[in-house]
Amino acid sequence: MATLSRPALTRREILEKCVALGTVAIASSYPASAMAAAFAEQEKRPRKPTPPNDLGPFYKKRAPETALLRAPGDPGMPLTVSGQIFNTRGDTLSNAVVEVWQTDNLGHYDLDGYRYRGKLPVDSSAAYKFDSVMPGHYPDRVCQHVHYLVTAPGHKPLITQLYFATDPVFEGDPDHNFTRDPLIHSRELVRPVILTGDPHEVLAAVRFELCLELL
Amino acid sequence: MRRWLVFIGALLFFAPGLFAQNLKLEKTISAPAEADVRFTAVSPKGDFIAGACKDGRVRLWSFPGGELRQVLDLKDEKISGVWFSNDGSLLAVGGTRGGVRIWQIPSGKLKLEFRAAGQVDALAISPNRELLALAPSSESAAPAELWDLTTGKEVTDLPTKFGGSLALAFSPDSQRLAVADADTEIRIFEAQTGAIRATNDDFLLEPFALAFSADGKSVFVGGADKTISTLDAASGKVTGAFPKQGFVVQQLQVSYDGKFLVAVYFDQASSRNPAPVLIWNIAAQKVQTTILQPDVTPNGGGFVPDGRLLLTSSSGNMLKVWSVR
Repeated sequence: MATLSRPALTRREILEKCVALGTVAIASSYPASAMAAAFAEQEKRPRKPTPPNDLGPFYKKRAPETALLRAPGDPGMPLTVSGQIFNTRGDTLSNAVVEVWQTDNLGHYDLDGYRYRGKLPVDSSAAYKFDSVMPGHYPDRVCQHVHYLVTAPGHKPLITQLYFATDPVFEGDPDHNFTRDPLIHSRELVRPVILTGDPHEVLAAVRFELCLELL
Repeated sequence: MRRWLVFIGALLFFAPGLFAQNLKLEKTISAPAEADVRFTAVSPKGDFIAGACKDGRVRLWSFPGGELRQVLDLKDEKISGVWFSNDGSLLAVGGTRGGVRIWQIPSGKLKLEFRAAGQVDALAISPNRELLALAPSSESAAPAELWDLTTGKEVTDLPTKFGGSLALAFSPDSQRLAVADADTEIRIFEAQTGAIRATNDDFLLEPFALAFSADGKSVFVGGADKTISTLDAASGKVTGAFPKQGFVVQQLQVSYDGKFLVAVYFDQASSRNPAPVLIWNIAAQKVQTTILQPDVTPNGGGFVPDGRLLLTSSSGNMLKVWSVR
């Protein structure tokens, strides 16, 4: 079974490895690690904040710390969501706290327990990832979605939602049809979905970068 | 979150809803064509019904006569909520862009107009009519605002950890303001200053409804945990809970005599599903009356001084007013 995982190395470590392998040549008397750090710093760029979206009625605090929201045998298309957390200056926020919650594949929220709810680990490069299932269509909403609450010291909390370009509601054209859900105000929140695996076991993967505003 | 509830309210409008065997149809009122009533507020005195209509206007009808007395609006802003003061002498209307207008009733004279930080999803006027508290939608992440109605100036903001506030209620003596927050906290403030007096952090899920007991000593809290909890208004501590139901609590109101608590519920699986309106006997913590049948969907209501609970429902431009004792 094909699996998807985020890079185990930080961007700086990747650059250093590129230098070591000859993929990147450095014509400088400075050590490769210093040049890689400078490269990474210069690559940093201002970013637009992630558009906010409604909190929704079913946030539940004290969610368990886990990146595995999907239990073995859970029905529904396996889904992996990954991304990195920045602020609007382009700094990575490795101290961010990311909470996500969603329905099961049939569109039901768990209010009694913490199914499909988690506080995600964030690594030193501010990358996050979680394994779940593609959420179902909650009957009172139009589109499939995952809720996010992201907090980091010195930054405004970000409350938003992730939507999927493959949602049947968009009929393959989210550019034109994303407003079919009256709660989606930004096309940015509708993310491309990469399907992998084989016809017997399709896996969905989505990248969703998060950008917080400074206080 | 309230924006979401308005959204599901719009869905409910087209869906099978609620009814009760013991509901009595009191009045049918016709709004102009194309002016369907989206939701209403019933004057606590029982003499007026304000309906937010699809044409962007609020119509004020007398009750039980049903005569149209006022047509009010927020200029070109869509209406997000309509609220009476406890004595029915003030009517506040909030809009999707933060517009707030307050009229004197029945004259229709504009008393105050200002702009909040975002769509007005919850609003309360203190019983002495000196203060107003409102909560912008959670998407705006703006804090609740406390306003002085005598000066027309904002007293203070009431910031939360995140997501703003969802429900507000003043104590009967106007000295305390209880606020239910999206971060699931309940906070109780000194109303005049906005100084915090008590906090409750026990709730795991979002609270959507608040009401003070008639003596002001307790606060009833309901929300996604499907339970109505009782808090000590002085300490903020939970002192009890009504039996848990299978539905999410959306609104709460205490009757004039303080003996009953009406709770409006919705089904977490889908607001299209029938869900009850329950009238609780507060002392016994038992359900006194259950209102549930698939004929009519209430879109507003409240207790009136003679002890009746009035509920409204809409079908096209027809507004029906029901009562239950």
